[in-house]
Amino acid sequence: MASLHRRLLLDRVFTLVVLVASFIVLAPMIHLLATVAVMGGRTLLEAGFSFLYKLPPSPESASLGGIGPALLGSMILMVLSSLLGLPLAFFTAALAVEFPGSRLSRLVSGLCRALTGIPTILVGVLVYTLVVVPMGRFSALAGALALAIVMLPYSYTYMETALSSVPKSYREAAYSLGLTRMRALIHVFAGIARRGLLAGVLVGLAKACGETAPLLFTIGGLRHSLFTGITGPIDAVPLLAYSFAMTPYEVYHKVAWGACLVLLLIYLLIFVAARMIVGRVRM
Amino acid sequence: MRKLVGSDRVFYYTLLPFGSIVLAVFILLLGVLAWKSVPILVREGASFFTKNVWKPSETSPSMEEYGILAPLLDTLYTSLIALVLATPASLLLALLTAEYAPIRLRGVLENIVDLMAGVPTVVYGLWGAFVVAPMLREYVMKPLHEHLGFLPLFSCEPISGQSVLTAGVVLAVMITPFMTGVIREAYSMIPFSLREALASIGATRLEMIRVLLSMMKPAIMAAGLLGLGRAAGETIAVSLTIGNSFSLSPCMLRPGYTISSLIANQFPNAGFYYYMTSALYASGLTLLLMGVLLNLAGLKLMWSWRERIHG
Repeated sequence: MASLHRRLLLDRVFTLVVLVASFIVLAPMIHLLATVAVMGGRTLLEAGFSFLYKLPPSPESASLGGIGPALLGSMILMVLSSLLGLPLAFFTAALAVEFPGSRLSRLVSGLCRALTGIPTILVGVLVYTLVVVPMGRFSALAGALALAIVMLPYSYTYMETALSSVPKSYREAAYSLGLTRMRALIHVFAGIARRGLLAGVLVGLAKACGETAPLLFTIGGLRHSLFTGITGPIDAVPLLAYSFAMTPYEVYHKVAWGACLVLLLIYLLIFVAARMIVGRVRM
Repeated sequence: MRKLVGSDRVFYYTLLPFGSIVLAVFILLLGVLAWKSVPILVREGASFFTKNVWKPSETSPSMEEYGILAPLLDTLYTSLIALVLATPASLLLALLTAEYAPIRLRGVLENIVDLMAGVPTVVYGLWGAFVVAPMLREYVMKPLHEHLGFLPLFSCEPISGQSVLTAGVVLAVMITPFMTGVIREAYSMIPFSLREALASIGATRLEMIRVLLSMMKPAIMAAGLLGLGRAAGETIAVSLTIGNSFSLSPCMLRPGYTISSLIANQFPNAGFYYYMTSALYASGLTLLLMGVLLNLAGLKLMWSWRERIHG
């Protein structure tokens, strides 16, 4: 039986170890945020506000140009993929919560959880095989489909949690008034669960703006033109950053850092909004 | 389920298509990958997974040969490095936020960790390629090769900063916030009465943590499996930090290839050759099975542990 003195000493030592080691663990994360802020900040300061709407530069050009088409493309993709993915997530969550006894609903809810672990590049390959090849071209639609599939499990999880946390008393009250399940869901439960549902929407948006791999083989990276229709190719900010980072040109690297900062700021905005609505945000 | 009547039934049938779409996506994913893998698997059989060769041919299909042993092993290699680094890191962070941090700091720390879990991977990739790779090369890889070069793990000379080790380190930073979240959630699920009991018999904080962590072993394992799955499936950050070349040596200071970065880099030109697309689909199928199995195992472990805790 160790002496009290020894046990207390071990406790103090361990506390110190945890504090120091946590500092070491947190350092890379802070370093990443700081690096993006500094390198991206340099680009944005040099290029100015026009970085957000100008066309990308050529490899040897002196000015930094901008990420205009890519930013517009990301916005369009966010809207399109939300239109496809969010209703799907909502109604699937409704199925799981309202009819939990059904075999399909249990299977689907398990599948949605498994789908969070799917490598996103395979989703891109799937959409390429089923949409891009038959259509014969890259398109914003294909990219939106791929993003919708990627965002589905995450939005689903939030929405399902939100809908299933509606207190039983409200359910009983709604049914006792004679509301059918559908009416009760639309008029009563969705309103009560609106915070979680909104968080689900925001998490989906965050995924849609930040994911790169699903876009590699679906949208075509149309760098220098603005919107050409949803059946035409399009660019996106993360795709631009990735492509530019792989080139050997200094100008392109600077633009890539700037794009990363813009991306990070958009993500931060969405994250803070979601945080203010719901207690914890789990990506 | 008892029989539904009237409009409830109609509602159920209206919702079914949405659920079926989700099921269909999953089946399509498996089916398309399997269907497209058939040509190369029929041609090479199991040797597709056991040899390291990548020989396309523009003239004759019979000269082509593909084997994904190197990307397969490197995927496991980088993910394991990431897991080895991330597990203690996430345990420490979880303990910090759950036990040691002053109450006012806890919110800030939780937010930072949750934030980092969702940062777009291309940001991690750029940071890894332009900042971490040179740093690791100067301060970690070169010294390791100089002083410990007799070990097969460090026996190759680090030429560029992009290597298996760099990719593993960046992956570790990527999966740590996620694993921290899982462990922290599990930690908070242990009934408070247990902590009260431990405090009442005079346990120090360290002793209480030791007991609680030993209770949480399945949850920690589940977090590890889930993190491993994420690391194995990651494409963009790895593609920018691993150097993208086939190599079989056990040394971790060399560039390598993972299945996902292989697909990312080779898929665009695969159409010029006869069997390359099929080879890439087959490697995609392998990756899918790995990812799904790891994810399912992790989730299952987590669920059964939760049942035991609350039961």
